[in-house]
Amino acid sequence: MSVPVEVTLQMLEAELEVAAQYAAAAGLVLDLTELRAGRPTAYVTFLNADREPFLAEFDFREYPLHPPTIEFLSNDRSRRGTRDLYPAGFHGTPCICMRYNRKAYQSSGGPHADWRLLDWRLPTSKGVAIDSFALMLSDLDSKIGASRGRLG
Amino acid sequence: MKNEEQDSNKGSGGPPRLTVRVQTPRGLWSMTEPADATVRPEYPISTKIERVIADAREVFKFVEDDSKYTLLLGTKERLEPQRTLASYGIEDNTLLVLSVQGGNA
Repeated sequence: MSVPVEVTLQMLEAELEVAAQYAAAAGLVLDLTELRAGRPTAYVTFLNADREPFLAEFDFREYPLHPPTIEFLSNDRSRRGTRDLYPAGFHGTPCICMRYNRKAYQSSGGPHADWRLLDWRLPTSKGVAIDSFALMLSDLDSKIGASRGRLG
Repeated sequence: MKNEEQDSNKGSGGPPRLTVRVQTPRGLWSMTEPADATVRPEYPISTKIERVIADAREVFKFVEDDSKYTLLLGTKERLEPQRTLASYGIEDNTLLVLSVQGGNA
C-alpha cells in the first residue's frame, strides 16, 4: 500500500500549525523548505544540554499510514546516520528507538521485530502516544535537551 | 474541572494574580484558547508550577501518568514543580512550554 505524496502533504499541513508553534516556543529551528516545495521532508535542529546542535531529518513518505523515518545529519547535510551524529542516550544501532520512527522497525533495519508499522501511534511503554509531529518534536527535544555529548 | 486556587482567590484580598500562556504539543492554552477549556491559566503568583502542569494536562487530556511532563520558561529553563510562579519572576502573559516525553522502548 502506498500513500500519495499529496495526501501526506495535506496531512502534514494540518499538523504544521501546532508543530510550528511548539517549535518556535521551544526554541527549535524548523526548516520546512522541502515541504513547501512539495517534498515530504522536514528538518529540525535540537539543542542538547550543552547547547550543541543536532540536525534531524524527518522523511514523511507514507505518512500518516507509516511513521516518518528520522535520521540525524551533519549540519552541512553531507553525512547521515552515523553514531557521532547522534546525541548520547539513543539506541546504539544507531536509531531513535521509538514507535514514531520507521527506522526503529526491523523491516527498516532497526531492532524491533515486535512492533508493527501500522501500530506506530501506540504508546511506548505506558507513556503518552506520540502520534503527531508536534509530539515527536516535544519527545525528542525533552530527551536531547537532557543529554550531554554524542553517541559515538 | 474547577481550579480550586482560582475559586479560593476570587474577590479582593488575595495575592496578586497573573495570566500565563502555555504552548503544548496539542495546542496553545490561553485565556481564549482552546475555546472549550474548562480552566484558564490565571493564577495567584503563589501558585506552584505543579498546579499549572496539572491544569494544562487536564485541558489537553494528557492523562498518562507514566510520561514526563515539564514546564519550560524560555527555550530551556526547566521549572521545578514545587516552586511558585513568583519565585521565577514570571510576568503577566509569559509564554511557557509544556514539554511532554513519551515512554522509552
